[in-house]
Amino acid sequence: MRVLLVEDDALLGDGVRAGLKQAGFAVDWTQDGQTAKLALETEEYAVMVLDLGLPKLSGTDLLKWLRGRKSKLPVLILTARDTVVDRVAGLNAGADDYLIKPFDLDELIARLHALLRRSVGQVTQTLQHGDIQLTSSTHQVSKNGQTVELSAREFTLLHELLLHVGRVQSREQLEQHLYGWGEEVESNSVEVHVHHLRRKLGAELIRTLRGVGYVIDKEASRS
Amino acid sequence: MNSLRLRLILLLSVGLGIAWLVAAWFTHAESQHEINRLFDAQLAQSAQVLLGTTRHELHERVEHGEDEIPVSHEYEQKIAFQIWDESDLLLRSTLAPVTAMASDKEGYSETIINGEPWRVLTRWDARHEFMIQVAEPLVGRESLARHITLKMLLPTFIALPVLALLIWFSVGAGLQPLKLLKQEVKQRTANRLEPLAMIDVPEEVAPLAQALNDLFARLQQAFEGERRFTADAAHEMRTPLAALKIQAQVALRSTDEAERHIALENVLRGVDRATRLVEQLLTLARVDPETAAIGYKQVDLHGLAATVMADLEPLAHAKQIEMLLDDGLACHVSGDDAQLSLLLRNLLDNAIRYTPAGGHVTVTLRNSNGVTLEVRDTGPGIAETEREQVLQRFYRISGSGEEGSGLGLSIVRRIAELHGAKLELSNNEAGKGLLAKVSWPSS
Repeated sequence: MRVLLVEDDALLGDGVRAGLKQAGFAVDWTQDGQTAKLALETEEYAVMVLDLGLPKLSGTDLLKWLRGRKSKLPVLILTARDTVVDRVAGLNAGADDYLIKPFDLDELIARLHALLRRSVGQVTQTLQHGDIQLTSSTHQVSKNGQTVELSAREFTLLHELLLHVGRVQSREQLEQHLYGWGEEVESNSVEVHVHHLRRKLGAELIRTLRGVGYVIDKEASRS
Repeated sequence: MNSLRLRLILLLSVGLGIAWLVAAWFTHAESQHEINRLFDAQLAQSAQVLLGTTRHELHERVEHGEDEIPVSHEYEQKIAFQIWDESDLLLRSTLAPVTAMASDKEGYSETIINGEPWRVLTRWDARHEFMIQVAEPLVGRESLARHITLKMLLPTFIALPVLALLIWFSVGAGLQPLKLLKQEVKQRTANRLEPLAMIDVPEEVAPLAQALNDLFARLQQAFEGERRFTADAAHEMRTPLAALKIQAQVALRSTDEAERHIALENVLRGVDRATRLVEQLLTLARVDPETAAIGYKQVDLHGLAATVMADLEPLAHAKQIEMLLDDGLACHVSGDDAQLSLLLRNLLDNAIRYTPAGGHVTVTLRNSNGVTLEVRDTGPGIAETEREQVLQRFYRISGSGEEGSGLGLSIVRRIAELHGAKLELSNNEAGKGLLAKVSWPSS
């Protein structure tokens, strides 16, 4: 899942980027509102983490601009101001959720997952497909009740495919969810991750459409 | 004496007392004067009657024996008289001495008979044959005058305590607005400093109430500033703390040794940054206007600059920045050397921080038309639009890559202001780099 992180503080931005990457997010990090605006115009994101006190273009203005474009992108704001007025202003400007600094990395990740679930109309945090179960908040995947160890990228890939069951995801689309800016995309990486997933979860789970992409087919009948 | 009421009462009582005494003196003088006139007239009448009656007995020496008639009225006076024919005493009353009571000149005079003062009237008959002298003791007049005065003033004398009581209560009532004001002021606390209502405040108290209101306004402003500063400071701490927490969590979770190492180093950087922020906050709090000017002495800016530059040399050396101190003359200003050293340290620290490696930081001191301290660097300078903002607390220039506290220039400005100096920021004459100028007016 591709996240746009907009945070002007170098140390905090770096920490959040590293933390989200550990959790399997692909993170693009910008330090000012203007660059964030540019990124939003050119790239697809699943969610945005936005600091309100930004140079050049404030977080609130960026949000207003975003909502003015009828974008439904889930936005979580980070703020140092904790008065009700500040929080209400952020939510009114179009934020979906907020965290007050200093915050917990786990909470940030959990809230981002919640926002993502809501944005795809999914209520529970567990995705079920046949005998495979994926819990996004805990990063756990099990097959027949047995926990399967997956790397962060494998998890993200499976998560993406399970979120869009029956719809083919192109290799580029999947790569976007796996890698943030400045991260080197290893060639064949999607193929490699799919290969690992098939080995761990069963060869028939993911179907390859040569030259098009990958898909997890809808279950023919509920077992 | 600290009680307004007591003071008023005392003043009023003393004033009333004096007024009463003056009135008494006037009454007494006036009644004495009238009594004198009355009694003198009586004396004249007696002389007239005596002259008339004694005419028939001319040349007969009659010596009256026991002619004292008992006093029948309290104001009835004893009367003595003598009738003379040239130097012969023809007739005299028992109370009268055998010698003349006064000179033979017509008119009133006073004399001492038997040790008591008497009033004597000397009269001659129409043909200038007989002289009559009628006398009467003065004691009666004096006591009568005193009596009249006392009788007249007695009611006021009795009224005085009543008056004092009335004064006591009216002064209390008159001071009521002050009492109300006191209660109003007493209700004010650090959190409740709204101005006093100026309606119903008597004009004598109005200036005091106005002064209090002004004080309240200033206090409120000071408290407001303090509160805002605390809030700002707390908020400023949140971002470094958030960074610390996240970096620590990243380090904890990382399975990659290199990544963990970077995160831990970031934690240390974060701690350094938070420490610096706290130190700067404390510095700003310590640069207190209360302590200003009292302990000021002559400080040699040149020597101070040399010391601070020596302290910062390692920092400059690490970035290969050359520091220069122009002009060898001593420049004296009145001030606090610790604070001025802080001012220099912040200016130089900023200059070193924002100047790229291999640059120059130059300090120039001038002592003509007031002392001027200039710190020039070869950094990026500050855009004109941001020059005012950088002096605000916690303002940081974006994209500078430096993690300052955002307080350095606030501290410099505060210290400069306390020393009566002015801080100006501009870009270097050469077009590149910042020029920070602190100027003292010529005294």
